[in-house]
Amino acid sequence: MKRHLIATVVIAISIALPGSVTSQQPSKSGKWTKTWVVEWNEPAMYYGAKSGVIDPGSDCPAGTNPEIDWVKVLVDAGYTLEEAKWLRNPANPTRSPLHGQNQMAFRGKDRANVYVNPTSTPDPGLVGVSGTIGEGINLDGDEKNGFTSPTGEKGIDNTFYKTCGCWKTYRGPHRLSSGALQFNDSMRNGAWTTVIVVSGEGRDPMNDDRVKVGFYVSNDKMVKDGNGNIAWDYTFRITPHARYEGILPARTVNGRIVSAAPADIMLRDPGYTRDLELLRARVDLQMKTDGSLTGYVGGYRPWEPVYKGWVNARGTVIEVLTWVQLPAVYYALRRNADFSPTGPGGEKTHISFALRVDAIPAFVMIPDASKEVASVESYKQIAPKETTRAAAGTYMVVDGIVPDRTGKYQAGPNAVILPPKSSNN
Amino acid sequence: MNLPFNRRSFLRGMLSGTAVCVGLPILDRFLNFNGSAFADGTKLPVRFGTYFWGLGLTDTPTGGTRWVPSKTGHGYEIMPELESLKPVKDKVSVFSGFRAIGDGRANLVHWSGHASILSGIAPAASGRFDGPSFDTKIADAIGGATRFKVIDIDASMSRQPISYSTRTGNGFATPETTPLALYTRLFGAGFQDPNSDDWKPDPSIMLRQSVLSAVKDQRQALMAGVGKEDQIKLDQYFTSVRDMENQLEVQLQKPERCETCVVPGAPKEMPRSASVDTVRANTSAMAKLLGMGLACNQTRVFNFVHTSGTSETYLAGQSKIYHQITHDEPTDAKLGYQPETSKLAGLVMQAFGDFLVELEAIKEGEKTLLDNSLVFAFSDTGYAKIHSIENIPMFLAGGAAGRHKAGQHIHTTGESVTRVSLTAMRLVGAPVGEFGSASMTTARPITEVIA
Repeated sequence: MKRHLIATVVIAISIALPGSVTSQQPSKSGKWTKTWVVEWNEPAMYYGAKSGVIDPGSDCPAGTNPEIDWVKVLVDAGYTLEEAKWLRNPANPTRSPLHGQNQMAFRGKDRANVYVNPTSTPDPGLVGVSGTIGEGINLDGDEKNGFTSPTGEKGIDNTFYKTCGCWKTYRGPHRLSSGALQFNDSMRNGAWTTVIVVSGEGRDPMNDDRVKVGFYVSNDKMVKDGNGNIAWDYTFRITPHARYEGILPARTVNGRIVSAAPADIMLRDPGYTRDLELLRARVDLQMKTDGSLTGYVGGYRPWEPVYKGWVNARGTVIEVLTWVQLPAVYYALRRNADFSPTGPGGEKTHISFALRVDAIPAFVMIPDASKEVASVESYKQIAPKETTRAAAGTYMVVDGIVPDRTGKYQAGPNAVILPPKSSNN
Repeated sequence: MNLPFNRRSFLRGMLSGTAVCVGLPILDRFLNFNGSAFADGTKLPVRFGTYFWGLGLTDTPTGGTRWVPSKTGHGYEIMPELESLKPVKDKVSVFSGFRAIGDGRANLVHWSGHASILSGIAPAASGRFDGPSFDTKIADAIGGATRFKVIDIDASMSRQPISYSTRTGNGFATPETTPLALYTRLFGAGFQDPNSDDWKPDPSIMLRQSVLSAVKDQRQALMAGVGKEDQIKLDQYFTSVRDMENQLEVQLQKPERCETCVVPGAPKEMPRSASVDTVRANTSAMAKLLGMGLACNQTRVFNFVHTSGTSETYLAGQSKIYHQITHDEPTDAKLGYQPETSKLAGLVMQAFGDFLVELEAIKEGEKTLLDNSLVFAFSDTGYAKIHSIENIPMFLAGGAAGRHKAGQHIHTTGESVTRVSLTAMRLVGAPVGEFGSASMTTARPITEVIA
């Protein structure tokens, strides 16, 4: 296999000299280059409990937000108790999934769809993080606001964590939250690949003031070893992409790569949103002695696409599986948003966010695979134009539900809630 | 009675000027004293079936498991979710640590796992396989001498019939979904009671058989007059005609008496519900009918779906279905696993235990139907919470007529699931040297379980 052969030829370099110069292709713009593939990434969510994945901790003293009593929610929304129980009873042949389950969307004022019109229902409330420790990056340079990192660094800006950190999807120890497990399993099985290229102008990669960090897409899929871990030192070609690319100026200090200035970037999101747009993005990554890379890339991301990502993943399913009311997420993100692209007085459409990244050594080739990448540069100009993005799943989601196109009973504001027991939808 | 034929004999006759012949069921007189082989020492033909259930068994990302025994080889310990296999443990081999390998193809949730096991190819899209399911190869190899080449059964009580058996990858078999439908298929119109004294050939079958024979007679002339592409099409067509002829021939012959064949009474329609207890009862009722269908030599190959990949089963009185619970239940910090999910997995496996016990209850000589069968049971996923396609639970149950060295636990670290599929094919004598594609290509069956 070509890719594997390449890896075999040069593997000795990266193993023999971990953390040292590994550029195989000197170029005019780069004295050294190091390359990795992201084998795990997840929203940076500090877990304040000592064990488990939902236990009470310093982050969420009451533990993860509890499972929701959907019968009560439906009754509060105006359904009768009988109707609510009927809608939640899987023994009812017409309940699941397309009629009864879909009906859960229609609990706004006048039975509006709360996913499309989240403000049609009062804010159900989403308990956020009340602890003071958080992971991420100081995005605004102000040490007086934000969290304190687990290592004592002040001013960590991660309001997304403050907002969603007690939600079951996001909460849990490193690599163990249900959302991280789900999306990284998908990535590791071939859904997408992100490679990182770091190049510098100086002689010492560990301490260099002129560094660039590049995040790129690769259409080459990661390979698992016999134990199910992502194999090190495989080779990946950069795939020029019209949107997913991020280049950040940086410097290294004792192997720690930190941004020298903010940049606006777009990465592949390990979540339903898919687009991780980060304004004023920064990195804080550590080159480890074993050759791997770990740390954060953070910035301000638009919060409304995050909400819509959850809605379009089938709102009703997300709500019952992750113990959340999506309108509560909408209100919380809107309330806590902390950045406006138009300036301090503008509408706060963005929220501070950090992505925790674990990457392993890999060989990264330029797009035509003729040689290894030797510097960080943009490939957007040679990326093909994007066509209409294919639906991610095998079903069509409309307004947060999968309409039942053939069913006798349809969910909606005027739906028949209690069809005869003899009906067979 | 001293019959002038052996197990290789065919019943021959003339029908509308055409010779017909039919294979014979396994008569006791063909067997050795303990019923483990034919009198001349040749191994018995086996029955083969797949048994599928959705949502895997319980693992945790930190390494805990509720089903993988710690001991490998013979004498593995019964893990909590395998408790129902205890009565037939020595006839069941457990396979752990195997995975579906996508080679870059995304994990299509509740699909890639069993599609890989059955077709050997990581599928490109949900709802279809990229090749035929291997049970069809087995049906072609051992299913031709019975009334039905294969019987497909769906006990899941799902809204839509579930089958994962396919010859093309695009269309899937239409299963029987109720005990009554299965009974009607096996023992309704067209069934010939081997123990009946009042047997007559069915005139309608004679007519259909005659028509097909007439087509057959013209085959050579037709084949000679068409191009290569059309010859291929015609050959495929005549192959299917021959299959049908074989089935009709079977029905035109009076079957020999069969001591183990006891025609059951027609079952009553059951209420349609996907509650765990109803699906389990449905599975048990259909297993009983299937077992007698196998004993009465109506088929030698079956595909049995207990629940679909996205199982809709639920515990009566609960508002959440099993599928939902696998995803939303947190791992208990003290126990190290999802307790409710594990409880439901145990109930699902209870139905598999019931299924095997039904086959074990039917005697064939001194052995049982289970001894003369091989049941390949598997799921769509390993750790269902994240749709993992690693450590997918798989079992081979039954003696395969003495070919399966059963009662072992085989563990690997990440080898392809297709090795177990190939092993199943080899155990029942399907002529397959290699199975799977790309990283799942294998020519290595698991020899530890092959006698």
